[in-house]
Amino acid sequence: MALINVATREIHCKVVYYGPGMGGKTSNLQYIHTQVPKEAKGDLLSIATETERTLFFDFLPLDLGTVGPKDRKFQVRFHLYTVPGQVLYERTRTAVLNGADGVVFVADSQKHKMEENLKSLRELANNITKNLGKNFREFPIILQYNKRDLKNVATIEELDRYLNPPAMNLGWQRYPAVAYTGEGVLDTLKAISKLVISKL
Amino acid sequence: MDPQLTSQIVPIEEIRQIEECLARLVEDTSGNYVLLLDKSGQVIASQGDANRQDITALGALIAGTFASSREVAKLLREKDFRSMFTQGVRDNIFLALVEDQWILCIIFNKGTHIGLVKVLTKKATDALAQVLERVRETHKAREDVLGSSFRTSMEDTIDLLFRD
Repeated sequence: MALINVATREIHCKVVYYGPGMGGKTSNLQYIHTQVPKEAKGDLLSIATETERTLFFDFLPLDLGTVGPKDRKFQVRFHLYTVPGQVLYERTRTAVLNGADGVVFVADSQKHKMEENLKSLRELANNITKNLGKNFREFPIILQYNKRDLKNVATIEELDRYLNPPAMNLGWQRYPAVAYTGEGVLDTLKAISKLVISKL
Repeated sequence: MDPQLTSQIVPIEEIRQIEECLARLVEDTSGNYVLLLDKSGQVIASQGDANRQDITALGALIAGTFASSREVAKLLREKDFRSMFTQGVRDNIFLALVEDQWILCIIFNKGTHIGLVKVLTKKATDALAQVLERVRETHKAREDVLGSSFRTSMEDTIDLLFRD
């Protein structure tokens, strides 16, 4: 739930990058951290294992500066989090998702990862409904089809068929990406930021 | 609070009351620092050592440990862990829930007895629960606070800041 502090004129929003393990969630945050101007970001905080797999979460605070018309200016801050993708960390994902205002679902485009993508998306739906107590269909979600540079990837249409089926009419925006080179990363961030703001 | 609401708006008067409550807690416990967080990790107010630069990260980590403890509680079939105590060599941290929405965090050193911190924190969380109740009651229509021109101007800022 976004926090609007009228006394300090601040708005805080929480965005969580969710998805299967090794899908590129941390790479998204690392790229954003390299691209955003120094004055607009804090330190990238990672709670990871010795092998650099996310253990609890990564955290990147972004400060968008003072925004709005003269008499209604607010300092806007986005807090970006990732969850650990590995299956055994389901409870940890639930904990990080607490209070989220929007989610970027980072899917792995490789054909053999489709099942993992689907499982993770189902778990997300369950978490939003049961643990956050929100309507999944109305919750701000952006899809990112990552790893588009690899050879064995499903087509965008195939990914849509499984993760964003037209029959479900979810209408999620989706962005192809190569997170470690940065392709599509900022477009995804822009899309989720605007979506979250539109729901404030 | 209605779970479908996307924003929690804390008005000026309520922030003043929160800050007063936190300042009293710092003074009475000789604590170094007191923070009030939303369960999502966002800092609502703080009092004490004014030079702290790491409040944002501190808020995210503390809310993370509390959210994690909630999952542990579920596994143990415990309803909730309402408070947590972390003991360090120099500093200690005591955390307590304000209803299910906010987390009160106090950082204090060896000179202060944990028993005193617990008693005074309980008093503070009761007072803060009343403020939280008022925040819920006086939840204004969002257009009152933000306005539609805010969103347009926000979108322009996002385009400008997040570009390759």
